[in-house]
Formats: sequence, structure tokens, C-alpha cells
Amino acid sequence: MRKQLLLTCALSAALFLGNTTEANAQFGKLLKKVTSKKSSKKSSRSTGSSKSSKSSGASAGTFAYLNSEKDELGITGEYFGLVDTKAFGFRFVKEAEGKVVNQLHYWEKKQEKPQLKMNFKESYNNKKQIKMFFVWTSTGAKSYIEVFEVAPGVLAQTQQTSRSLNKYEESVPLDSKRKVIEVMAKDKADFDTWDIETAQAKVDMMISDLSSLKMAKTKKKLMRFDTYKNYHGKVAFAKGTNYLKSSKANQPVEKAANFITKQELGSTVAFKPYFDMPLSVTHPGSWFNITYEMAGKTTDREALRKTSTKYSRNIPQLDKYKNDFYFYYPKVTINRSNNIADYAFLELLRQTQDNLTQGKTYDLKVTVWAFKDGQNIDPVATGTIQLEYTANTEKLLLDPVKGWITVLEDYLDE
Amino acid sequence: MKKLLSIFLMFFAIVVAQAQKNQNEILATFQSGKYTVFKVDKISYNKYKMVKIKKQWPIQITKSGENVTNVLVKRAGILDENFKPDVPGHPAYFGFSTYRLTFIDNIGIYYTWNGKEQATTKYVFSNSGSLSKSYDELNKLAANYATSVFKNQTTARANVKEQKGAIAEAERKKNSLQNKQVSKIEIKLINTPKKVAHFSEAIKYGVVATLKDGSKVSTENLGGNLPWSDFTLKNKGCSSTIDEVRVDEDAKTLKNDRITIQAISEYHPTLKAIKHINTTNNLPIQVNQSGFWGHERHKYVTVFQGQNGQHAGRGDNLTIKVKTVTHKQTGVKLNKIDIYNTTKKKHVARYKLTTDTKLIINNQGGGGMNGYGGRDSSPNGGNGGSGGAGGNILLIKDPSVTKLNIELNNQGGKGGKGGAPKFSHASRGRSGAKGDNGGVTKQTKSIALNF
Repeated sequence: MRKQLLLTCALSAALFLGNTTEANAQFGKLLKKVTSKKSSKKSSRSTGSSKSSKSSGASAGTFAYLNSEKDELGITGEYFGLVDTKAFGFRFVKEAEGKVVNQLHYWEKKQEKPQLKMNFKESYNNKKQIKMFFVWTSTGAKSYIEVFEVAPGVLAQTQQTSRSLNKYEESVPLDSKRKVIEVMAKDKADFDTWDIETAQAKVDMMISDLSSLKMAKTKKKLMRFDTYKNYHGKVAFAKGTNYLKSSKANQPVEKAANFITKQELGSTVAFKPYFDMPLSVTHPGSWFNITYEMAGKTTDREALRKTSTKYSRNIPQLDKYKNDFYFYYPKVTINRSNNIADYAFLELLRQTQDNLTQGKTYDLKVTVWAFKDGQNIDPVATGTIQLEYTANTEKLLLDPVKGWITVLEDYLDE
Repeated sequence: MKKLLSIFLMFFAIVVAQAQKNQNEILATFQSGKYTVFKVDKISYNKYKMVKIKKQWPIQITKSGENVTNVLVKRAGILDENFKPDVPGHPAYFGFSTYRLTFIDNIGIYYTWNGKEQATTKYVFSNSGSLSKSYDELNKLAANYATSVFKNQTTARANVKEQKGAIAEAERKKNSLQNKQVSKIEIKLINTPKKVAHFSEAIKYGVVATLKDGSKVSTENLGGNLPWSDFTLKNKGCSSTIDEVRVDEDAKTLKNDRITIQAISEYHPTLKAIKHINTTNNLPIQVNQSGFWGHERHKYVTVFQGQNGQHAGRGDNLTIKVKTVTHKQTGVKLNKIDIYNTTKKKHVARYKLTTDTKLIINNQGGGGMNGYGGRDSSPNGGNGGSGGAGGNILLIKDPSVTKLNIELNNQGGKGGKGGAPKFSHASRGRSGAKGDNGGVTKQTKSIALNF
């Protein structure tokens, strides 16, 4: 009985493993290169065997018949790998079953059916004549396979690990970090020119070209929105953060009718800067800084961060939204609904408190800067709101327990 | 011992002096040409090593006098990357996109930089063909060098700032009315909103100046370059802000039932541009003075949160005074409305609205907080908090008021639901009681409103 049980278990395990191997095998070598680089390294270290000896690719000439085929992109043919030196077959298929499919078929074994069918990113080709093919073999980031043509007859396979599947028919976004892991060429002589680093540089260059194009397209789209159209390069103010939030990327649907230009001093003021272009484009390597100017005094977030541990702890660096046209989540000078304030603004109130008088109105200028290496480089958005010192302001600022200035002074005196 | 100390000090001084040389000084010993490249290779988690790349990359150093103006790295021989000095005259690095390039100790380090002042090496260029430093040493070397040079860039940075300031000032002067003969200045509206009232959309405007020769210059929002700093704004009934203004929320500044945009030339004080815009006072308004909700009670009083939901706050008591007057510009009937919060002893609002325009006042009681569900230790559900009572409203109408479109909402808040029991044998918490509705008292008597 026990023997029979053991036998059943062993058979089940064998069947299961057999199926798994079969499923992986059909993903082909491209996927294997993506997913099992680490394991192949490990195994080659442990066994001492070379990578090529472990290859499942074919010997030279297996796919030579593809070289005689012509396609409109000039990709079809037999290729050789730089890392994995075996031969592989690629065929560009324009139409199948009466439909335009634009696929790149891939073989590593001589079979009728290809081991992979990759999708053609037509938009890249239409806009910048960049030939890129991709396929998701599963949902994980590592199951994404992408091939770029870096030169006629030379393909570079990239790997990315940051984005998992969104849609099977969509490639990963341009900002995903791509690493070239293999170069394949029709002519082995091309490897003298195209090594991994050269291919990486070329892929980076192509991605950079596409990114700048995408940026221009996004800006054009944003100009359809009144808020962006009228406020780029400016800072918009509102009575609460809810008036400035937009839930979807690059769709600033907030209503300009809710923006304000005057508010009671000490009450909630939320603000949102809109930029002409993202900071990563206009000032690469910079992050944001904000300065507040009122009643002849100026406070600077980054400068304050350097003055004490308390400010350093409570004024974080603004290094988000560097690739965006505006802050998705607005900032506040003061937010009474959740008792949050920008310490740089509170410091400004603390410094100006003796110069402020009831009944007067003060201009608060908010400037968002590109900041790098300890310096404000250029302003990227500015705005002015008038703050009115009302009868209620004194309580809001100087209440002996809850006043904004009182709280700050108590904290600094601790 | 003294000898040893002096040797150490000399060595230290040499090291410091060496470390603080700027890139112009260091690159005096570097030549354009092909450099051996080392790239970063990951060994395991957080462990990296430098690996030599097969091909050499060309690097071209361009100088103007003693200053290096550009370092061209032909990445992999095919991709041109032009690195520019961070501060011309005293560079700590050369920058291209987010990458930085610093030459030190006979090598060039190509790295990225983060806000924590840390360098992350990507490539190293060597003209000797070898590299003796580890990945971690390279990162530290680049970071230490950069931060020490930053400290010595004060003068050079000040020069750059001064140059930028001079350019901006020259641009301002070129476009300013300063030292120009100006015949008049005008306010020009960019949009004319249908409704000019409290909370209406912004009125966008610019300034156009006509010069003596007949030519016109305008502010940026009208397609020109005339700086706003040329004008002092003295607007009435709205904010004194450039580009756009909004009608004040408080009617006390709208005594003449219009807003006035007024710009005075800084350099020609006799020149004024004035634009009056009549208010339409026809935008419906909603005023909220409701009590807080049970779950917000902790914001107002100290609470101990057990299983029972918190009681809500009651709506504030309000005194609303209304008087009908005539629009001073158009003759339309307007209701002057003064809302005073007698609970908090503060003015809530002063509005001027046409008699047809709706005003909604909300001073309901807050909703009670739901009770928590039962737990293993106390299986019965917590009781819901009571709803707050609606605030009382005293509405005083002047005999002049014949029509008032007002909605008063001062119902009591709902009680919170009782928490669910943990087990079937335990009991659900009691629901909180609904708050009492507030009362509305209406009076008609002569009143004076000073706005």
C-alpha cells in the first residue's frame, strides 16, 4: 500500500514537472535570457560549462533559408547572438489570415511554428523610424521581451524589471529603465562595432528621442485644459487641496473658477505650480525648492533645511514630480483642516509678525525654483496671493495654545 | 614625534589642496583622445565591481583659455554627450542630462548625483588603461571632491548670479516704460465674464501703454513684454494681483457696486489706467456653518475613544440681517446680507445679491459616529454617537425687503449606527439619537448695515 502511494506521488511529480518544463520551453530562448540570467550564471559557475554549450539555439545555417526572404522592414533573416553565439531565426510578418498583423516571429529551433510572436510598435516607427518589437509572455516585469533594431541587420534585446503587465498589447512606458542584455546580428562581423555597451548607448539615444517627442505631445494635450493653458509657469491658489487635485495623469480637470487671489491670513491656502516643461527636461539633475516672500522678508525651504535639525526633519526635499508638468498633489502654506503647514511659511510668519497689522493686506509671493548643488537655479513657476489680516487672523496666528506662530515658536524653543 | 606630526600635517595640506582643485586646473593635465572605459557590473545584492569594456571611447576636451567649456564623450563611439561645466570658471563637474563627469586622480568618473549628496558611478575613463579603485571608493571620491569644491564656488557662483541678474535687468529695461516717453496707459480686459459677483470666475486683464511715437507696448498676457513691475496696482473691490482679479468675498469693499482695476505707472506717476466693471451679484452662494461630525470630535475636544461612537457637534447659531438697496450703477434691487455667527462671535459673511439669487445656509447638526463592532473581550457592539442639534437662526429683515431667495437648513444630525455584535448571542449597540432641529425666528425691523 505504502509502495503504491509512493509510486503515485512520484508519477504525479514527474507529470507536473514535465508539464512545467514544456510550458517554459515554448517561451523560447529570448525569455530564458531575460529570466534565467542569474540561474544560468549560477549553473555555469557550478558546472564550469560555457553558456553556449547550454544554449538551446541552433547551429549556423539552420535558418539560412530566411536570408533569401525580403520584407518591408528588412529584418527577416538568420541572426547570431553575441552572448549566446548560436543561430536564431527572425521573420517579419506583415499579414496573416487576411489581416495586417505586423509581427516579428522568432525561432531558435527549426520548426514550422515560431517560438515567439512579437508585436511591432508601429507608433515608434511612424514617428521616429524606430523599429521595436515586444511581447509579454506572462504578467511579471521579467516576462516582458523587447527587441530594438539598432542598425540594419543588428538587433538589441533589452530587459526591464520595473513595470509589470498593464495590457498585453501595450509595451512598457518610455521611462522604464532598459538594459541591453543581448545583441544579435545577421553578420557576425557587426559584433566588432556592436557590443552590449554600444547597443545600450543606441537604445538610450532612441528612447531619449521618443521621450522628447512624447513630452511635446503631452504638452499639446495639456493645452486643451484651461487650467494648464492659463497657468503654466504660474502658481494657482485655492481654499483647499481638494480644489486643486486631479485624479488622472496629465488631465488637470480642476476648475479655475475655484482658484483664489485673496485669502484671510492664517487660513488654509493650497497651491499648485504648473510648469512649461517638466523639471527633468528644463533642469536635469535638479529638484524643487520653494521660497515665500511677504512684507519684505523671504524664507527658503532649502536654506532653512540647512539651519537646524528641526527644520531639516520637517522640510523634506521636493524631489517628486520632476517628470511632470505640475504637482499632482498640491502643496499648502497652511491647511487648517488637518493642521498641516509648510514650516518655511510658518517661519516667514514668525519673522514678519511684528510688521503685520490688522486691516492691511499683504502680497505673498510663492516661487517654485529649480534647485541644484545648494543653489536656486531658475524660477519655474511663480504666483502671488493677497493675504488679508482680519480680526480673526490674530487668533489664528497667535492663539496662546494653537496659534500657528505660537506652535512654531514653542517647537523651536523645545 | 613632532617630526611625524609635521609630516602628517604637510601630507594633509597637500591632500586638501589637491582635493580642492577645480576641474579647469585638473583638466590641464588631461588630453583629448581615446580612453579605456570601465563599467559597473553587479556581483550580488548591493555589491558591484568595475569591469573593463572592450572598446575605448573618444573624449574631446574643449577649452577657452584656461577654462574648459565642453567635454564631449562619444559614448560607445557613437553617441555624442556634451558635458558642460556646472559653474564656468570654477567647475566641480561637467553635466549632461542627469549625468555628471568629474576628473580626479588621473581618471574621469561618470556618475549620477542624488539629493543626499551621494554619487553613483556608472563609468570610469582611464588613459592609463588600468583602474585601481573599487566601486565604493569611486563613489566616495566623486562625492567628497564635489562637495569640497562646492564650498569654494562662492565667488564664481556669485559672478554667474550677477551675470544672470544683469541680463534680466537689461531685458526689463528694454521692455520697461522707464526713460521712455509715454502718452497713455490703458487696462485691457482679456475676458469679460457674464457674472461679476462674489466667487465668480477671474477677470483677466493686461496693461497697454501707448508711446509718444504712437507705438504700443503691452504686458505678457496681451502678447507683449511690458513688465508688471512698471505698475503699482490699486484695485478696489477685488484683489490687487497681476494678470487676473477676483471679486472680493466681503461686500464691505464693494460700496459702489463695482470693481475698479487701477494701474499707476512707476516711472510716470501721472499716468493712470482705470477700468470700472459693474458687479452683477447673481451667483448663488452656499454658506456652511454646520456642526462637526462625531468622527471629527477629537479635533475639537479631547476624547477617549472606546467602543461607543462619538457624539456630533451642534450647528452654530446665526443671526442673518437682510436689507434691500438699489445697485448704485445699474439700479437693480440688491439684498445686502450680513451673517453673524453668535456661537463663535464672528462675522461669517457680508454679501450683496440680487433678490432672485439663491443663498443657502447650512447649519445642521453633525452626524453621530457609528459604534464599533464587538470584540472577543467585549462582544457587544458599541453604541452610536448622538447627532448634533441644528443651529438656531435669527433672520432679521428690514422693511425694505420684499423678496429674498434664501434656504435655511438647520435640521438635527443623524445618530450614529450601533456597532455589530461579535457573536450571535451578543447584542448590537444602540443607535445614537437624532439631534433636535434648530429653530428659525423671523423678525422684521429697521436695520442699518454699514457696507
